[in-house]
Amino acid sequence: MIQVDSAPRRPWIPFLTLFAALILLVLPMQELPGGFVPDWVSLVLIYWALAFPVRMGVPIAWVTGLIVDIITLGIPGAHAFTKSVIVYITGSLALRIRAFPIWQQSVVVFLLLSLELASLVIISGLTGEAITGMHRWTAVVVGALVWPLIYHVLRRSRHSSNLRGS
Amino acid sequence: MVPHAKSGFWRGLAPYLLSSILLISAYMHVGAVKVAASSLAVIGIPIHFVASLPSMTLAAMQGRLITTDQLRRQFEFLREQNLILRARLQRFEFLENENNRLRELLQATPQAVEKVTLAQLVAVNPDLGSLTVLVNKGSADDVYIGQPVIDAGGIVGQVTKSSLFTSKISLITEESQAVPVQVVRSGVRAILYGGGKNRTLRVMYLDRNVDIQPDDVLVSSGLGEIYPPGYPVAVVTAVERNVAESFMNIEAKPMSHLGRDREVLLLWPTQLKSSDHGSDAIVEEKSE
Repeated sequence: MIQVDSAPRRPWIPFLTLFAALILLVLPMQELPGGFVPDWVSLVLIYWALAFPVRMGVPIAWVTGLIVDIITLGIPGAHAFTKSVIVYITGSLALRIRAFPIWQQSVVVFLLLSLELASLVIISGLTGEAITGMHRWTAVVVGALVWPLIYHVLRRSRHSSNLRGS
Repeated sequence: MVPHAKSGFWRGLAPYLLSSILLISAYMHVGAVKVAASSLAVIGIPIHFVASLPSMTLAAMQGRLITTDQLRRQFEFLREQNLILRARLQRFEFLENENNRLRELLQATPQAVEKVTLAQLVAVNPDLGSLTVLVNKGSADDVYIGQPVIDAGGIVGQVTKSSLFTSKISLITEESQAVPVQVVRSGVRAILYGGGKNRTLRVMYLDRNVDIQPDDVLVSSGLGEIYPPGYPVAVVTAVERNVAESFMNIEAKPMSHLGRDREVLLLWPTQLKSSDHGSDAIVEEKSE
């Protein structure tokens, strides 16, 4: 159900933020140990799936995941799979999660990111690609901790773009 | 209103999961899909380009903000460095000639690096749990799987995947990586395994009475047919001899900067340029 009060001024804002997340993903940050950088793309996808469960649904998550796989020279389809799953879950429970206080949302984000990491580990294991080290779990914790920040930044961008509805 | 009421699991999610699984299995079993995926990686170019902008502008700004005085000092320093290096190079050339002559006497084939190319990093640790970096040279620049990569300090790792314009380098610190090395001081050969975490390496399966001690320099021995011999790899940091165990616990730290520099060098060794090396060509039987 789309209820438009006034025409959205910048309907491309969600895609711009996704593009920014993709850039952050490949940004060479030499000084930071890799294990602490959260999966920005998943966080941004979760936010937009909460805000617009129908419009920013599984298809967009799938395509974004595929782009992630391709630009990082990963297994094509792996991130597409995991991101579709977490966005589907987020979208289905969006109304409930939106009513949560922010720290409970962080817990949900933690669970979603853990699910994604677990499925990625399983997929890499099945395909025989090297997976080493468990230090990516710290990235999941960091992702949950920065969720309030992501939430506020993206909500401001959403309000400035005048996007409403589902 | 339940947002997914009209498109439930079977219509909303299942087709996407199915197509992902198809893609993954096609990627694993059909060679053509691998080629297609590596050419598709060109869509990453604008993203990699934008991601490299901050460091590029930073580098450009550093060039602008520098004073004449600083420049002069830097120039002096570089000139001195250049002189020292040239003096060393003369000695090196002499040694190389001598070495080649001796090799001819022994009728051994000389080993040399045929070609070197500078590549720039475009991403660090881009994917799950692996210690990898992406560089901006790919199969269009004749990069091949299993190609050795070095920087100013020593060996960085090997190319494990390449697309047209980017390739992925697995660092020697990754758990799946192993480098055949030799201790410079004593000539002992060993295998150096990646430790997985940041910057720790382990020398495994060395007998208790082998001559190795802290601060020993390990250079590549050229035995795995991946890395050319003679490049510095690591410095031993700790040697632990335990009477109860038959092998020593040896830790080492890499001499290269492991992706902390913006540039790395790709090597084309003359003897090893066949492109049929697998990514994990250094498979050592682990005799526990």
